[in-house]
Amino acid sequence: MREPVKQTPGTDPTQPVVEAEDVHKYFGSLHVLRGVGMEVQRGEVIVLIGPSGSGKSTLLRCLNHLEKLDRGRILVNGHPMGYREVNGRRVELREREVAKQRRDVGMVFQQFNLFPHLTALENITAGPIHVLQRKKEEAEAQARQLLEMVGLPFKAHAYPAQLSGGQQQRIAIARALAMNPTLMLFDEPTSALDPEMITEVLDVMLKLSDQGMTMIVVTHEMGFAKAAADRIIFMDEGRLVEEAPATQFFANPRHERTRQFLSKILH
Amino acid sequence: MPGWDWNAFGRYLISGYLLEGAWTTIWLSVVVMVLGLLLGLVAAIMNMSKSPVLQGIAKFYLWIMRGTPLLVQLIIIYTGLPQIGIRLNVVQSALLGLSLNEGAYLSEIIRAGILSVPKGQFDAARALGMDSSTLMRVIVLPQAARVMIPPLGNNFNGLLKTTSITSVISMEELLRRGQMLIQVEFRVLEIFVVAALYYLVMITLWGMVQRRLEAHYGRSVAPATTTERRSTVAPDSGNGEGAATAVERREMEHDLR
Repeated sequence: MREPVKQTPGTDPTQPVVEAEDVHKYFGSLHVLRGVGMEVQRGEVIVLIGPSGSGKSTLLRCLNHLEKLDRGRILVNGHPMGYREVNGRRVELREREVAKQRRDVGMVFQQFNLFPHLTALENITAGPIHVLQRKKEEAEAQARQLLEMVGLPFKAHAYPAQLSGGQQQRIAIARALAMNPTLMLFDEPTSALDPEMITEVLDVMLKLSDQGMTMIVVTHEMGFAKAAADRIIFMDEGRLVEEAPATQFFANPRHERTRQFLSKILH
Repeated sequence: MPGWDWNAFGRYLISGYLLEGAWTTIWLSVVVMVLGLLLGLVAAIMNMSKSPVLQGIAKFYLWIMRGTPLLVQLIIIYTGLPQIGIRLNVVQSALLGLSLNEGAYLSEIIRAGILSVPKGQFDAARALGMDSSTLMRVIVLPQAARVMIPPLGNNFNGLLKTTSITSVISMEELLRRGQMLIQVEFRVLEIFVVAALYYLVMITLWGMVQRRLEAHYGRSVAPATTTERRSTVAPDSGNGEGAATAVERREMEHDLR
């Protein structure tokens, strides 16, 4: 077992962003994650695929402690996420400390989850102002840059209900980026979108990967996987079944389960 | 005793003595509403907490306050407590009794409001690194307000009239002042009709304030279109319906109180 390195994130490029070991998660009697281990390096883009119910979303939610672990551990930038270890035993951190850890991990949801009572600009500045205690002007200047980046500079004062699904999801990405996270999690970011809006969201994600963002993406968009993924991980029944670089993964899947799944989603 | 006396009626209508009583009714209601909201928020959050102890305390509080008549509560506080050495004056007793009672009812409105906010909003706020109090203040309560304002306003309407119960512990609000005036002037009908008119005016003015509040809190979610209020509930709030029924049930309870 490695000792967690005490350092500020981003200072050591060789420090993996995510290290997961033997992660188990139950929902009641349902064993959702059955010993997941993975390592993600800085700047890597990981695409996580698998049938529904295979535990992809749960794994993602464990990575920022929206779900508690039942066993194992997850290090983000070298720090155990949501827990500290006292004499080899896991003790859950206090809510305030977990909140602090989550600042480093951005998350984008299938249903966008924009704050409906706030404008696009206020959605993006909510984190910097209320969590990082930034000045309003400073946060807004950054938010406008992010709006520019996601291609919505003229929607600053629109409310979510006035935006299309694709626009809402791009605002949601900007909202997560406003915290300057070292890791971005995408939980089926295009699954709730009409087909013609999927590309505009994927384009933003491609741009982000080009900028070197570390990303873990749960998606069924194989075009995106081929274009952006460094590695593709196939998950089934709570386990990581197979992982490989994108080209190899599609050309040469090793496991029968992977082949079956690919034949279903690639037409 | 002759019939209706217009002169007396006119006199009472502008009587400073009764107006003072009406003013007491107003400030008593406002202070009780503020204290009740604070109590209600604390009770609602305790009620929804994972700790069985906090939950138990909250549930016990609601059980007592909603399970006994306000009249009994007031008499226990004002007349009963001195027996064990706790002496509160009339105003203190009225404030304490009304606030404790109101807080219990308001806490259920607040709870319904918080439950009406979709789970995804909590996830998104937590993922941004917000702690519970920031999440409540910045994300959840402003959204819950839209659902809460109509029943809260309804409650305040009820409260304006409920304060008249404190007349039994001789709190000199509008009703008590009316009763005291009757003991001197013996014009029951004129004086009570004036008191009733005062209540009507207060309720009507409050109705106007409430409509403004509702418009204000509905504003951000409603697009620039003139859609029905009902349809402006957040598109992803799958449980909006459940909250509405909880709130309606709550309103019925209030009327039966």
